[in-house]
This record gives sequence, structure tokens and C-alpha cells, in this order.
Amino acid sequence: MSMKLTVLAGINCLKQCALNAATPSNSLMHTSACLRKVEDRKEMLASMPAKDEGTIGEKSVDIDTLIDRKAKFFPDASTATQLFNGIPFNELPVVNIRVSPNNTIISVTDYKGVPRLIRSCGIEGFKNTRKGTNIAAQATAVTISAKAVELGWKTIRVKVRGLGPGRMSAIKGLQMGGLNIVSVTDNTPVSWNPPRPRKQRSL
Amino acid sequence: MRHVQFLARTVMVQNNNVEEACRILNRILGKEEIFDQFRRTRFYEKPYQVRRRVNFEKCKAIYNEDMNRKIQFVLRKNRVDPFPGCS
Repeated sequence: MSMKLTVLAGINCLKQCALNAATPSNSLMHTSACLRKVEDRKEMLASMPAKDEGTIGEKSVDIDTLIDRKAKFFPDASTATQLFNGIPFNELPVVNIRVSPNNTIISVTDYKGVPRLIRSCGIEGFKNTRKGTNIAAQATAVTISAKAVELGWKTIRVKVRGLGPGRMSAIKGLQMGGLNIVSVTDNTPVSWNPPRPRKQRSL
Repeated sequence: MRHVQFLARTVMVQNNNVEEACRILNRILGKEEIFDQFRRTRFYEKPYQVRRRVNFEKCKAIYNEDMNRKIQFVLRKNRVDPFPGCS
């Protein structure tokens, strides 16, 4: 509950910032327009969370205790036919989360892969740098999960693709939106002999 | 070769504990250097950069190996129960 509140507060704060930026200024002389621009940018940057490098859980070092745990964390040949909420595992709808540093796109497909819903942080109303934040990803996930529940899809599998700030928070948002997540799959395309990538950014 | 979907790189959620499942998945992918490779291949790595990186990794591995050996040497114990009260 407290998590929800903080997120709501964050969204409200963002909205207020947007309103402030949209209201016309009182002064007719625009001599300090550039100064205000700098200030607005500062304000926006202050309202955003600190830039997070890496993926949560990746760097944390703890002893591998999975082996002696009784719980079954990894699927096997019989998982495909295992029933979850009356539906076999391989016929559950799939939520695809496409994460990039600048945006998060979430789409819901049925088990055959036919897309039904699609939503991204840009569609959600977050623009420019705000698209690539964990708050935007969470808000997007909450709205799309509400729509998925309307379709009657409550139990789902999750497929994550790419790295970015929305990776964890999108999954958290799906859970907050009332979806029952059965499994989490990583679908990041990684190759050890890729075609030559683009040249490095000049900094 | 393509892997079977929802069998490879998949973690089942236990007791609705999504966060733990994600952490396990990220930890395994991080340890297997899959994320590192993904990040490395976003932009072309010039041959001199590859050489530098590989040499650095070699040096680091040698240093870590020796350092671990030293730590084990300093921490060695000569008693039946090496750390009494810790098991």
C-alpha cells in the first residue's frame, strides 16, 4: 500500500511539473526566457529519480542457496501441461515487456502470439526523458494490466526483453494491477558473433 | 540454435513472490555474463579496446586468484571445528 502511495505521489509531482511548464508566464518581456529554461530543466531533473546503472539483483552477491531449497524455481518438461488457474502453462497469455533505456513498451498477446493490447510509456503521456523512468514503466504496466483483466486474462506469463530502468518496475506494476504472474522469462537477444554494431558514441 | 521458449531463461514464481523470481533471473544472467555481452554489443568495440579489455580481465583474474589464496592462508585454522558456534 505504501509503495502505491509513493508512486501516486510521484505521478502527481510529475503532473504538477507539466502544469507549471504549460502555464504562460506573467511577464510579457521574455528577457529571462533562457534562464527559465535552465531552471525548468533543473526542476525536471530534480523530480526524476537518480540514474540507475545495471539491473536490480544482478550485482548483489549472496550464496547460492537455490540448490537446497525445496521450491521448484525452474521449469521442466512437465511444466508445459501444468495447470495454473485451470489453464495449462503453454496456453496462458503472454505479456511482452520491451525495455530500452529511453522507453518501455508492453504488449499482451494470447498464447499463439496474436497481439491484443499494446501500451508504451509514450502513449501513457510521459514524454521525452520521462519516458525512460521506472515510474513511467510502472504506470504503464498498471493501466495495461487493468485492460488485460477486463479481457478476462488474470493469469499470465511475462517475457522481458532488453535492459533499462523499466525492467523491474514494469513487472512490479503488472502485479500491482492485479495480474497473477506465473513465470518470468528473459528474452534479451544476445549474440557472441553479432553483425558489426553501430560505431561508438562520441562523448 | 534457438532455445525452447518458456523453458530457457525462465524462472517460475513461487508463492506470488515475483521480486525474488526476478532477482534469481537477473543474478543468473549477470553471472553468466549475458548482460555484459548485451551491453558490449550495443556499440562496436574497436580491436584495441578488445585487447585492452581482455588484458585487464586476465590481470584481474590473476590478482583475484592470488588474493584469494592469501586470504585463505591468513584465515587457515588448525582445529576440529574451524569456526566454533558458526554452524
